[in-house]
Amino acid sequence: MKHLPKHLQPRWRYLAVGIETWPDADLDRGSFQRDLWYAAQNLYGDAGSAEADLTVLSFHFTEGDGETIVRAHRGTEERARAAIAALDSIDGHPVGVRVRGISGTVRACEERYLNGRTGHGQQRDVVFENESTPAVVRDTRVDVEVEEGFAGATRLDFE
Amino acid sequence: MYEAVHAYPDGASTAARFAATAERYGYDGVVVRADDASPEYGRLRESLSVDVVDAAEIVASDPQHASGAVGNARTKHTVVIVAGGTNALNRFAVEQARVDVLARPFEGTVNGDDRNGPNGRNGNGNGDGDVNHVLAKAARDNDVRIEVNLGPVLRDRGGRRVRHLRKLRKLKQLLDHYDAPYVVSANPTSHLKLRAPRELGAVGEEIGLGAEWTRAGLEAWDRLVARNRERLSESFIAPGVERGRYEEDD
Repeated sequence: MKHLPKHLQPRWRYLAVGIETWPDADLDRGSFQRDLWYAAQNLYGDAGSAEADLTVLSFHFTEGDGETIVRAHRGTEERARAAIAALDSIDGHPVGVRVRGISGTVRACEERYLNGRTGHGQQRDVVFENESTPAVVRDTRVDVEVEEGFAGATRLDFE
Repeated sequence: MYEAVHAYPDGASTAARFAATAERYGYDGVVVRADDASPEYGRLRESLSVDVVDAAEIVASDPQHASGAVGNARTKHTVVIVAGGTNALNRFAVEQARVDVLARPFEGTVNGDDRNGPNGRNGNGNGDGDVNHVLAKAARDNDVRIEVNLGPVLRDRGGRRVRHLRKLRKLKQLLDHYDAPYVVSANPTSHLKLRAPRELGAVGEEIGLGAEWTRAGLEAWDRLVARNRERLSESFIAPGVERGRYEEDD
């Protein structure tokens, strides 16, 4: 089909989203998109979801750290932000999400807000609560394996 | 802007991890609602660029038990928070001028094995507490802030969330009408449950609380912390009365 004349083409805004999880989580674009749709639908219904038309574009995720671009219609950025905030877990893995910024083009969004540095976690043993436990260390962040899953800490807690 | 968090062992992340995450998210600091947690506040404040406030969260089954704990905590901590959840506890908290914040008036501390319950620590959304015009007026007169808990809005689904939203709308109406003080928090139990102020504002707008109103609730923590620190400082005698040099008039 012939594409629309320029003045009728939809106007988009691109939200750069930072993602953080426990080190054992395994996410991909599909699961993120599905849970984002569910979050939007649960928060403002089918009509609102169609209006915002949230689509996940590029998705990078490794070892508990990730970043992605979410596309929304111009004028619905704040609704999109609310849906992203209501994204509590993906495939049962709890996620921390944060909108780093909003741009008018994918390229500006990538250049400004995405840095491509993901992953590089190191397995190490730390002393937590007077016991030696395995942990994953990512720069200053330390995720300690405990009975109920993980406990979040920083290097400060082990000095 | 501050977020009031449940730090390890009350929650799943340490106060330091919360503070580091809050710094990235644009908060000025975190208020640690300590029940069992006891981070080294002095050291954390020195090594981090955000503020870490020592607060006590009093979790009791009835007003008699809470009353003693409030007296103990008042002199030791900057901020005193009472977890509500039953009508008796809610009423007790708002009628005590010694209490700073009535937390989770609806869902409270219903027992649950999951320490990361969706509604803040142990709260599973089945609390039977309520807030009415009597409590709102008492809260205004005693300067007790009622907490607007956004936790279930972010982390619950379906009927429980709908019921919670209905309660929040009613609470906002009461708070606005009686001009009662309030604070907003998402009750995060791990650093992954923390959300940036703008995100909470957007959620507030979406559920009918208003973005500005939500942000004002986050900023209310700043004023509370500043006021209490001043009161705990050595030069403070009574409101308006301080020990020290005269203020220069010019």
